[in-house]
Amino acid sequence: MQPSTVVVLDNGGGLIKAGFGGEMDPTAIIPNCLFRPLSSKKWLHPSPISTTPSSAAAAAAASDPIDLTSAAVRRPLDRGYLINPDLQRDIWAHLLSSLLFPQRPNLGGPSHSSLLLTEPLFSLPSVQRATDELVFEDLGFAALYVADSPSLAHLYEASRRPSGLASKAQCSLVVDCGFSFTHAAPVFQNFTLNYAVKRIDLGGKALTNYLKELVSYRSVNVMDETFLMDDVKERLCFVSLDVARDLKIARCAMWETWESSRFEWVYLVLTVCEMGNEGNLEKDDILRKPGKENLLRCTYVLPDGVTHTKGFVKDPDEAQRYLSLTDGDRDQTPNGNADQPQVTEKLENRKKTDLTKNEFDLTNERFLVPEMIFHPADLGMNQAGLAECIVRAVNSCHPDLHPLLYESIILTGGSTLFPRIAQRLEKELRPLVPDDYRVKITAQEDPILSVWRGGSLLASSPDFEAMCVTKAEYEELGSARCRRRFFH
Amino acid sequence: MDDDASNPLRRMSSRTRKVAPKMAAALASSDNRNQAALARLEALENDNAGIETVEINDEDEDSLDDDDQVYMQKKQSKSMKRKTRQAKALEARKAPRTFLELLHEANLESLPPHVPSYLRAAVGPPSSTSRRHFCTVCGSAASYTCVRCGVRFCSCRCQNIHNDTRCLKFVA
Ligand SMILES: [Zn+2]
Ligand SMILES: [Zn+2]
Repeated sequence: MQPSTVVVLDNGGGLIKAGFGGEMDPTAIIPNCLFRPLSSKKWLHPSPISTTPSSAAAAAAASDPIDLTSAAVRRPLDRGYLINPDLQRDIWAHLLSSLLFPQRPNLGGPSHSSLLLTEPLFSLPSVQRATDELVFEDLGFAALYVADSPSLAHLYEASRRPSGLASKAQCSLVVDCGFSFTHAAPVFQNFTLNYAVKRIDLGGKALTNYLKELVSYRSVNVMDETFLMDDVKERLCFVSLDVARDLKIARCAMWETWESSRFEWVYLVLTVCEMGNEGNLEKDDILRKPGKENLLRCTYVLPDGVTHTKGFVKDPDEAQRYLSLTDGDRDQTPNGNADQPQVTEKLENRKKTDLTKNEFDLTNERFLVPEMIFHPADLGMNQAGLAECIVRAVNSCHPDLHPLLYESIILTGGSTLFPRIAQRLEKELRPLVPDDYRVKITAQEDPILSVWRGGSLLASSPDFEAMCVTKAEYEELGSARCRRRFFH
Repeated sequence: MDDDASNPLRRMSSRTRKVAPKMAAALASSDNRNQAALARLEALENDNAGIETVEINDEDEDSLDDDDQVYMQKKQSKSMKRKTRQAKALEARKAPRTFLELLHEANLESLPPHVPSYLRAAVGPPSSTSRRHFCTVCGSAASYTCVRCGVRFCSCRCQNIHNDTRCLKFVA
């Protein structure tokens, strides 16, 4: 009997997106890890995360606020690949039995379902074997199809815009910047051209760790605060359109913070003079508009474990101010004189609570962290940045595809959520691409979900069942021979 | 900017990182700075694994809900079966390994050069070797290097902060 239900599992190193084929959104999104809070001796399953407002309320009500301060973390994936099958089995078993199948009690569980599972490109045979064992022997699925993320992201994008180039030319360049790494992957006729794929060994995990390092070095030791610093990164980091300029603005903000109020202005003036010589900001810009030196600075309040167990951005307006820094345009002054009294008042407040040391300020860290995707060399990594990575992937394809690929660049993965990433990428990529080619970068609304949604589409296509490997085939042929069917 | 010791963040871990003394020793010698840089890159993929090592199996099963029992029973009977069948393989599988170990075992170097593989997909070095340096104290563009530890800073003022509180420390 052919199973009619397909479980779609986008198994990321950071988040698992899981649900049923044919649906618009996954049923559950959970961190792909177990954690152990300081208060617990046991490793616990994280509560589901939700991205839609309606389910967010439900999730918030259902999950008790576990204090994740200094919680230890175990992940089944390392650098994107499965290294701990036992841990993965526990996480999947919990997911299926507590979150997924209770939603569909009449389905009869995994033995009556097929599984569409995402796996990173270039998985190792030993990892594939371990995965197949989990799927068929431990969880008992009836059939399996293994897909790679770029082809699913392409499929979703093509279906979303049937008149777009990705759909018409059946061709796109998927830039998947996730938790473990970043891939530039050309997709042609729904298949990822794996000979042309290029990878940067940097993803959201490394960026969070880098942010931890910077904050620990400069203000407060947060080396054990993975969950907290993920939140800081997601709320406060953005991609700079002009790093040299933004560094100078940040520098101003910093002097001002560090100095006692008596010397504050002296240094501010000195810094401004320094900038006047080399920078593209003028003294008057800053002296006349005192709001300006605070454009990049914002304060994050750490959990105190009593009144709040989660950290938060002290002043969300303050955190948005960088948006007035437009590309090559320094005339905009959204924080003009009208805002001024308010700004100084907030500054006073900030200084008062600063004494408790339960908060820290971020300035240039906000953009220096995502900056690493563009220049891994700055970290000491011997790897090219995102723009060059894309060029190399395109250049590994047939020349006829080059203009199509540049015109259909799709950004996907959680680490493409940094504001302004598409703008910056275009700015870096344009000079590297032949003049007569168009560069068009499409950022996705829900870059975390697009791979899952592509999987959901594929799972509901009429060909899907024929593409799967059944449990019987697996038992007869073994992992390696079954895998050939998936064209990896 | 406060030194960590003076920070009354009671609820944050004050445990010094195990890596710190090692890094300090490495940084002290310029010969070892490259190694220190590599160790730092490696650390970017680290998790906060907790202090003591815990027998994960017992802990895990305790922590699961009743709903999982069906699956867990299946798992246990499965493990029992396998133990008799291929106990050795199971033991090998039990020990979680790092991806780099698995990669090494896969021996991808032996594949012919036209076969796409994890190794071949790496983007490769940047075409321009220029590396921007940021001040480790404040993050600004940094043009000076500490003679003792090789860390970068931007100005006299950051040099002083570096010397006072951070020199030869990996994580302050
Ligand atoms: Zn500095
Ligand atoms: Zn030093």
